[in-house]
Amino acid sequence: MNSVNDRSRDIGEYVPAEDDDMLICRCEEITKGEIRRAVHDGMWTMTEIRRYLRAGMGLCQGQTCSWLVKGIVARELGVSPAEIEPATSRVPMRPIEMHIFAKEGDTDEE
Amino acid sequence: MKRYDLIIVGAGPSGLSAAIEAAKKGLNVIVFDENEKPGGQLFKQIHKFFGSKEHRAKVRGFVIGRQLLEEAAEAGVTVKLNATVIGLYQDKEVVVKQGAGIKHYKADSVVIATGAAENMVLFPGWTLPGVIGAGAAQTMMNLHGILPGKKILMLGSGNVGLVVSFQLMQCGCEVVALVDAAPRVGGYGVHASKVARCGVPFYLSHTIVEAEGEEYVKGVTIAEVDDKFRFIPGTEKHFEVDTICMAVGLSPMSQLLKMAGAEMTDDPRRGGQVPVCDKYGRTSIPGVFAAGDVSGIEEASSAMIEGRMAGVIAAQFLGYIDKEELDKELAELDKALDGLRQGMFAPANRGKLIEKTEEGIDISSNLLKKGYVADDEIDRFPGVTHKKGIHPVIECTQNIPCNPCQDACPKKCISIGDNITSLPIAVYEGDCIGCGMCVASCSGQAIFLVDEDCGDGSATITIPYEFLPLPKEGTKGVALGRNGHVVCEAEVVSVRSATAFDKTHLLTMRVPKEYAMTARFFKEAEREVSR
Amino acid sequence: MADRIEEHPILGVVEKGRKVCFSFDGKEIEGYEGEPIAAALKAAGVMVHRYTQKEHKPRGIFCAIGRCTDCVMIVDGVPNVRTCITPLKEGMAVRTQYGVSDKAFEEQ
Repeated sequence: MNSVNDRSRDIGEYVPAEDDDMLICRCEEITKGEIRRAVHDGMWTMTEIRRYLRAGMGLCQGQTCSWLVKGIVARELGVSPAEIEPATSRVPMRPIEMHIFAKEGDTDEE
Repeated sequence: MKRYDLIIVGAGPSGLSAAIEAAKKGLNVIVFDENEKPGGQLFKQIHKFFGSKEHRAKVRGFVIGRQLLEEAAEAGVTVKLNATVIGLYQDKEVVVKQGAGIKHYKADSVVIATGAAENMVLFPGWTLPGVIGAGAAQTMMNLHGILPGKKILMLGSGNVGLVVSFQLMQCGCEVVALVDAAPRVGGYGVHASKVARCGVPFYLSHTIVEAEGEEYVKGVTIAEVDDKFRFIPGTEKHFEVDTICMAVGLSPMSQLLKMAGAEMTDDPRRGGQVPVCDKYGRTSIPGVFAAGDVSGIEEASSAMIEGRMAGVIAAQFLGYIDKEELDKELAELDKALDGLRQGMFAPANRGKLIEKTEEGIDISSNLLKKGYVADDEIDRFPGVTHKKGIHPVIECTQNIPCNPCQDACPKKCISIGDNITSLPIAVYEGDCIGCGMCVASCSGQAIFLVDEDCGDGSATITIPYEFLPLPKEGTKGVALGRNGHVVCEAEVVSVRSATAFDKTHLLTMRVPKEYAMTARFFKEAEREVSR
Repeated sequence: MADRIEEHPILGVVEKGRKVCFSFDGKEIEGYEGEPIAAALKAAGVMVHRYTQKEHKPRGIFCAIGRCTDCVMIVDGVPNVRTCITPLKEGMAVRTQYGVSDKAFEEQ
């Protein structure tokens, strides 16, 4: 088991920091403090953070903040960012209006 | 559902190169790209590329883009634009959003060439309008003809930060400072030098404290950081700017590969989450290949070769060529790629502090800290020699894979040899005719023609010049040193432009002879005021 | 139009489409057909494209290639339009986006 998944590990209490109000997820307006707190609430993977806070779930789908969030989570856990489990990749890769998505396959073949 | 032999995602340098190779082997190829225009970042690259002939060296990026598109069209490649691949399913089913519809395509092989996304760094005010990515600046100025700002601070001294800073000045913006938290310039020294000599101050071991402004950027404060990247109180510097540009690295856009179930790894040396693949881009899924930045951040030149590798591998995967032909082609491409992955900036040297050149010469410490080689350091490099009459002075001081200067000189005054990363040597016996081909051919704008003593107390210096308005013969102004500071008065004695120079004009200025080896840029007298 | 590059030392004279009129928050401004809406706005000196839903903070062009979605505005009544990749057309009505509305927050 790698250290990231070792839930018996004590990462200590959440300690407020000066830059906790720094905005990280630009779309959903999630701050660094919220992300740090979420880690102490037990959200250790990118997917967990996304579901818990909606960071990276906005219009841009985490294109800008993913690697920032990853860095913050890693720091909080005391591991390298490379060890953090990335979020699930799924369709659609880009924001799509529901009416287009609903018509999937409903177009003429070329 | 329409079927293709090969579906390529991304019409940038690697995707197009893969398409061309595969189509030439007879594969039925389609390329999807979400953008309105093909070419990826190539059409935003207006500088001359490094490398050797086989890497299309000294050709400007956007010209390479055009060449690739022409080759793709000739080879029968279909390029679909405004076509966003939103999914890659099992059995290579590709889901594409085109206009207001979503279509499914079936591929027998897939090349993922989706490139990379820009990284950003955090500072108070980073969400203000006016804080932009370096890519955004390039898109605005080089694709849409819009100034990204008037007074700009650049964060990031890698090649992107350096190249974009120069491009910003080329379109008339003022770059007030180039800032990097790292203690040393990250990109090529020649790129740094051409920015520094225009007068841009470099602040290494500095980063942004805060961007100021309520509605949009009005200023920025930077401060020095210690070796743990903590601000050192009392070192704050303030600049009035309307734009802050971030060039702090790239991350591979590898999500499609992850979605398809390819084995992934997080490799900081390759820029983040990348597919596990062999050197030719074969991922863990048979028939799915990765090429270009998506499998590790590098230059466009290497992306093109990786693309070609993926193209021929796909051809062999589907039986269009046999193993023997594949091995032959790959051997050649291997050689080309190895050529690019040499020198101080090779992927293997990433993060290492290199203090000596391959020749054993001490690297300029000023170059790494301030962006220019100091006047008392320049003489130790083999391209810098003194002789009577006009001769090239080659201020190329780092081992980078690049050699067009060697072929450019019709009189063989410049020698690099077979090792593409060797520092160019000014051959003393060579009889320079002052044609200036070397000046124009140097992608790093590091070659000058100097006549150190014209006999009347003056010297002439020919510099590469890529700005507007172009000074004319007789224009008076000042010569700037390598550090961008005024060294003396100067007068333009000739301006040469030629098709062979490819938009690099050769400006020859006359200066008092004691400044022959220090004056390296020209600034028109009034331009300073009007800008 | 001081924010436009007329002639570029490497790229030459910048080619543009037909000059067209469009509106920004009801004001008539000019741009060139086919260029991104964001480019036309930038040339006209518009920096703020929207104000965010939660904090009401200003946002503008950030990535300029349709990724970050910071430059979204209300175009012809449709919210969340990425202005950096949406081509300008004659007569478009472009409005600042407040949250997801074209009404200022105090009117919402």
